[in-house]
Formats: sequence, C-alpha cells, structure tokens
Amino acid sequence: MNRATGTVTARAATAPWVFLAPFLLCFGVFTVYPLVQAVVLSTQTTFGPGATRFVGTNNFEAMLRDPLFWRACSNTLIYTLGSLFVQLPLALGLALLLESPNLRGRSWLRLVLFSPAMVGVVFAAMMFSLIFEKRTGLLNQVLHAILAPVGITWDLDFGWLQQHVMLGLVVASLWMYVGFNMTFFAAALQNVRRDLVEAAIVDGAGPLSRFWNVTVPAIRPVGGFVVLMSVIGSFQLFELPYIMFSSSAGPDNRALTIVMYLYQNGFELGDLGYATAIGWALAVVLVGCAAVQRFLARGEEAGS
Amino acid sequence: MGASGARADPGGRSTQKGPAAGARARTVFAFITSALRWAITSARTTISAPVRQLRDRLPAWLSPGAAVIALLALVSTIGVALTPDRASQGRVMWTFAAAHHVMYVDRVRAWNATRSPKIDLRLISLPALERRMLSAFLGGVPSADLIEIERRAASRAFAGPLSSVGFYDLTDRLREEGLLDAINAPSFSPWTSRGRVFGLPHDVHPVMLGYRADLVEAAGIDVSKIETWEDFAREFSKLQVDANGDGQPDRYALNMWETHNDHLELLLAQAGGGFFDESNRLTIDSAINARVLATIVTWVAGPSRIASDAPNFSAAGNRLKAEGYVVASFFPDWMGDIWEHEIPSLSGKMKLMPLPAWEKGGRRTSVWGGTMLGIPRTAVRTPEDFEQLWGFAKELYLSEEFTEILYREGGIITPVKAHWASPLFDEPSAYFSGQPVGRMYIGLAPDVPGRNSSPYNTLAMNRVADALVRLAEEARREGIYDLPSLERRASELLRRAHAQVADQIARNVFLAEESGGGGS
Repeated sequence: MNRATGTVTARAATAPWVFLAPFLLCFGVFTVYPLVQAVVLSTQTTFGPGATRFVGTNNFEAMLRDPLFWRACSNTLIYTLGSLFVQLPLALGLALLLESPNLRGRSWLRLVLFSPAMVGVVFAAMMFSLIFEKRTGLLNQVLHAILAPVGITWDLDFGWLQQHVMLGLVVASLWMYVGFNMTFFAAALQNVRRDLVEAAIVDGAGPLSRFWNVTVPAIRPVGGFVVLMSVIGSFQLFELPYIMFSSSAGPDNRALTIVMYLYQNGFELGDLGYATAIGWALAVVLVGCAAVQRFLARGEEAGS
Repeated sequence: MGASGARADPGGRSTQKGPAAGARARTVFAFITSALRWAITSARTTISAPVRQLRDRLPAWLSPGAAVIALLALVSTIGVALTPDRASQGRVMWTFAAAHHVMYVDRVRAWNATRSPKIDLRLISLPALERRMLSAFLGGVPSADLIEIERRAASRAFAGPLSSVGFYDLTDRLREEGLLDAINAPSFSPWTSRGRVFGLPHDVHPVMLGYRADLVEAAGIDVSKIETWEDFAREFSKLQVDANGDGQPDRYALNMWETHNDHLELLLAQAGGGFFDESNRLTIDSAINARVLATIVTWVAGPSRIASDAPNFSAAGNRLKAEGYVVASFFPDWMGDIWEHEIPSLSGKMKLMPLPAWEKGGRRTSVWGGTMLGIPRTAVRTPEDFEQLWGFAKELYLSEEFTEILYREGGIITPVKAHWASPLFDEPSAYFSGQPVGRMYIGLAPDVPGRNSSPYNTLAMNRVADALVRLAEEARREGIYDLPSLERRASELLRRAHAQVADQIARNVFLAEESGGGGS
C-alpha cells in the first residue's frame, strides 16, 4: 500500500466523523450533558453550586410520600382527561361541521374558530380570570341576569375559580386550543377517500356507520398524533393556571400541576434536586405515553 | 332577533324587516368580498414583477424568500452589534417598586451631583429582580451593588448556609453605629436570619382599619367604643342591608376573603400566631392559629357573615369599594396613597381606626409588607466598596429629608424613631376626613408584630391558607358555624399543614446543620 492510498483511506475513515462532529458536539453539550447532570442533581440537595449535598434516592422517596406531588398529579390528570374527552371530540366535531358541503361562510368560521390559538396564553388567562371573577365577573353577572326573571337568585359571590378550578382551566384551554386541534382534523379529513364514502352510501351505510367505518380509520394516524400532542401539552400545563391564579397554585392547591410544583420547588424554594426528581417523574410519564401511542400505532399498521 | 320573518307593529301593520335586512347584509358582504379580492389582486400584481426581477438576478440556490430572510438576519445582527451597551454609570442599584423609583430619582441625582460613587438607579419588576438576584446569589456571580427587595423575595436568599447568603452581613456595623436601637426593632425581623441582619429596613408598615366614615357615622356607630373584633362584628353588621330585595346583602362590614393570604397573615400576626416563632421554629399548629382560622370562617360564611371580597389593586374591587359594597378594609400605611390615587371619589369619606383586638387590651395593629436595602457580597471587593455603598444606603433610607419624601409621596412611616417627632406627621389628611394619619400610625408603630425571615414563610402561609379554604368550604357544606367545632377542625387541618411544611424543611440539610433541626 503506497502513501497516497493510505492517506485517502485515513481521510475516508475520518471524513464521516468530521461531518458528524458539529452535531455530536451540540448533542453532547446540549442534550447528553444536561441529562447526565439532571441525574446527578436529582440525587443532591443544593443551594447554588457552592452548597450541594449527596442525598441518594431521598428526593425520589420524599416525592412518593409527598401529598402535594400526588395532588399535582391528580390535577394534571383531570386536566388531561378534560383535554382528551372534551376538547378533542369537540375539535373533531367542528372539523366535520366545516367539511359539511352545505355550510356557508366556511372560511370565516374557520378563521373565527382558529383565531383564539393566535392569542397568547397570558391574554387568555387574564381574560378568563376576569370572566370567572366573583360579583363583577361576566359569568356570574350573566347568570344573575338570566335567572332573576325566573325567580332564581344566583349568588354573585359564587367563586368559580375557588370551587370549580379544573373546570375553569378546561374551559379556558377549550377556548384556546379547540380551533387549533380542529385544523389537524380538518386536514386529516381531506384524506378520506371519496370513492370509499360513495361506496358505503351505495351499500346503504348511514352517516354514523360511514363515520365509524370510513372516516375514523382514515384519520386515525392524525388522531393518534393529536392525542399524543394533547397529552404532552396537558402534562406540561403551567402558564395558564399560574397567571389565572396570580402566580399561585390556587385555593387549596386546586390548580397545582406537576410543572408548577416543579417550578415552585426549584425556583421558589431553591430545591433544585427535588425539582429535578419531579422532572424525571414527568419525563417517565411522557415517555410512557409516547410508547403506548407508538405501540398502538404499530398494532394498527400490522393489522392493516 | 328581528333578522327574519314578518311581525305586526303596535298599529297592526305588517312589517317585512327581516328579508330587507338580509338583502342589505348580503350587499355589504359582497362589497367587502369584492374589495378584498381587488386589494389582493392589486398587491399580487404590484409585487409579482419586482419578485420576478429579483429571482432573475439571484443565484439559483438562493430563492427570493431566503434572500429576504438572510437580509433581515444580517440587518438585525448588525443592529444588535452596533447598539451601544448601557454601561453602568457607577454603582448599580435595583429597585422593584415604581413608587420607590419615583421617590429616589431626585435623591440619587442630588447624591450624584456632589458625592461618589455615582449611583445608577434601575427599576426592575419584582419577579425579574427576584430571578436575577437569586440566580446571581446561587451562581456566586455579581448582580447589582445595591438591591432593594421586598420581604418574601428576600427571604428566599436565606435558604442556604449562612456563608451562602448573597447579602453582606450588616449586623456588626448596625450595632457599632447604634442603628439597632435607633430603628424600630420589629422592622429588622424580616431581614434577620440565624441572628444576623442582612438588610437596612425601609419601613414599619403598621396596619389600621380604614372605614367609610360617612356610612358609619350616619348609622350612629361610635368607633371609639369598638375594642375587639367581636365589638366590630356586632356594630358594623348593622350596616349590612339588602337594598334591592334580592335576598343578599348589598353591603358587608369587612373587606376580606378566605383566599386573601395577606389578610390571613396580618390577622394571625396580630393575634400573636403565625407560622414561625422568633427562632424560626415552625408554629403552624398553634391554638392561636386555630382560633383565628375558625373566627375568619364565621366572618366569611354562615349566619353571622360580615365579610366579602372587594379585591385590592383591581378596577373591579375599586368600583365595589367606591359603591360602598364593603365598609371597612385593612390599611397598612402605604395603602392610603393607593386609595387616594385609585378611588379619589372617597376623599373626605374615609377614616382610620386601630384594628380591633382579638381580646380586650390586645394588640391594635399588625403589619403588611416590608422592604429592605441590601448590599450583595459580590459588590464588596474592598473595605472602601462597603463604606461607599453603606454611606449611600444610610443617606437614602435614614435621612430626615427622606423621611418627608417617604411620607408625602408614599404615606410610609420611617423606621427611624428619632424622626417620628417631626410635625410632618401631625398634618391632617384631607382623604381621611382631616385625621392626623401619620401620628396615628406612629402611635401604633412600636406595637407592630415581628415578622419571620424564614425562606419557608411563603410555603407555610400557602399551607395555612389551604387549611382556611378547606375549613370554610366544609363549614358551608355541613352548615357548622359554631366556634368550638370550627376550632377543633381547624386544629386538625393545621396539624396536617404543619407536618407538610416540616417535611419540606427537613429536606434542607443546610438549615438543619446550622440551626440544629432546621427550624421545625
């Protein structure tokens, strides 16, 4: 083997690494190192870099015993279920409505329904906190005005954001995100094959049967994606309750979510180790959701 | 309604408003659509020629869109690079309150004209200031040279070992200069951690009760005879009336609600309860706290309800106050200035009285809020650094001139006892019906309860507030409003809250190591 051939071979061997180096460097610095550091941090109690103590699995054990952590989990789960079982069916329903051939002003309706998604979460949170306000809030005022003529006295001091916290959050998120999710379903409905729909009509299938046997299978991949995104978004809920309840977790922690609890521990109490342990718990849940979705999607692919 | 269909007018003639209105709407809609279409077509025609020319001139690998993005990126990069950094003019001081900033501007200007070092005063919102301050303290990197911060945010800096507290320890200097005696003692408590003082106090913030004198005096109520909260409830409840006959009072005696943590904290402090004792040991499950919680529930719910919610710092709340929905509100010294600006219509209709006590002869005031000025350790590199910053801090907070500015512009009483004799505080207030408000607050200042500096204060307050919300809701649900039963249940809920906070504190090994048990 002569020298020139050796140089070429060496170059060929190193070339891929040279091309990969920028990615590997960024991946190492911004992904691998923080992940490793997060594992280390979750086994420590800290107050800045100068004050750290190794505590082993104490943070995780404390988390499992902590009633507020479980409160945050149950609140987040309720919100997630609200998103899945109220928001997504509504979004699909609106998408189907917009697909209706007899509908007039489709573009305007689409714009109207989608426009809340263009509004910032801060604005929406402020708006809904005013709507749900006691005495001067729009909802209480409207209910008082509507019910008074039929002889029912609505209590203007009814605290929506005290007694129905999760309902308030679900309604606010419904307003913000239903139009956004609707656009995914509307796009998916474009993929429903007309010939299959027409064949089903010829075979005498009713609207419900056509929806279940033709439309749903066609939009299922997009549906799976929307469900996964909604679950992830719901588990990361933070800004909406944080602003609606003036930087707090609401009365009796009724608006406490997992991310908010993480934030409170890490950035208000300075316990970054415990906050990291909560972060790992959240990561495990989200990876689990993604795995379930992938498993289901693979099953469908195999089935088809 | 009225958009379609024929209907009879009172004279019996038939009108056809619906179809006509529909036709008009269609015409307008068609016009708007045509206008939009024209505008889009014109824009496309106008833009398409230059875009085509641009595409022809650009190399094949660069599309017009990419070229525009690249140009914008280039322009913005050059803009950012050329923007001069706002270099600090001397020593930087952060403050979080716009009202304070206004008060300090002239003082700083006067200082900078004749003295050194020059002070660069900056107003930063409280959450941002808190984040920057804590990040700097946790990372051990420089922040500002002087930081003015409020109580809850400051206490977060005390969570680690004493050696990690980011503020310079002022204890020895305060003692040497006699300032520990010259300043109202309770004003030091929020800035004192494990016996060391880390901030110069800005205020005292005694609390009184502000009430609608026009309504109270018209009802023949003599407030001088009100000594306790029981007296207050009995007398002021006479003002609760259902004017519109809807079965609900249109006026309540007291502006307070179970979800307002500030009200809860000041009432607990007034009663001698609270979350931590003087040694920062947890006292959430005390009998005093249970009694206060139970009493508050009888105020906000049940047949003896005397309180409702007119939130502070909100337009809706201000409207309710102006309309007389609530008669009395809690008034720390800084609140009067806010009301004067936000609810001017109540000028001459308000008066102040000491808080009713929890028992006869008990404390007639409490405390709400608090601010300090601290010197970060990183700002002190040489002894001269400290002397310069300390000199400015004392000039700003402790001078007689500042006492006047603080009172005139913010209604705030100085913590420097020697200045309390100033005739300034005897001036009658037009807003408060001619009362010498300053003198009234000063009369209560020595009785202001101490506040703790625990970094877990907010956490403890939140857990106690949770217990109160739960207690109130249980009372409403089960219709139990007798004080002994409420106190028993409050004790149970407070024990649970106590255990939760103790668990959290126990995780802080630094406090445990330095205070022998972490304060629980």
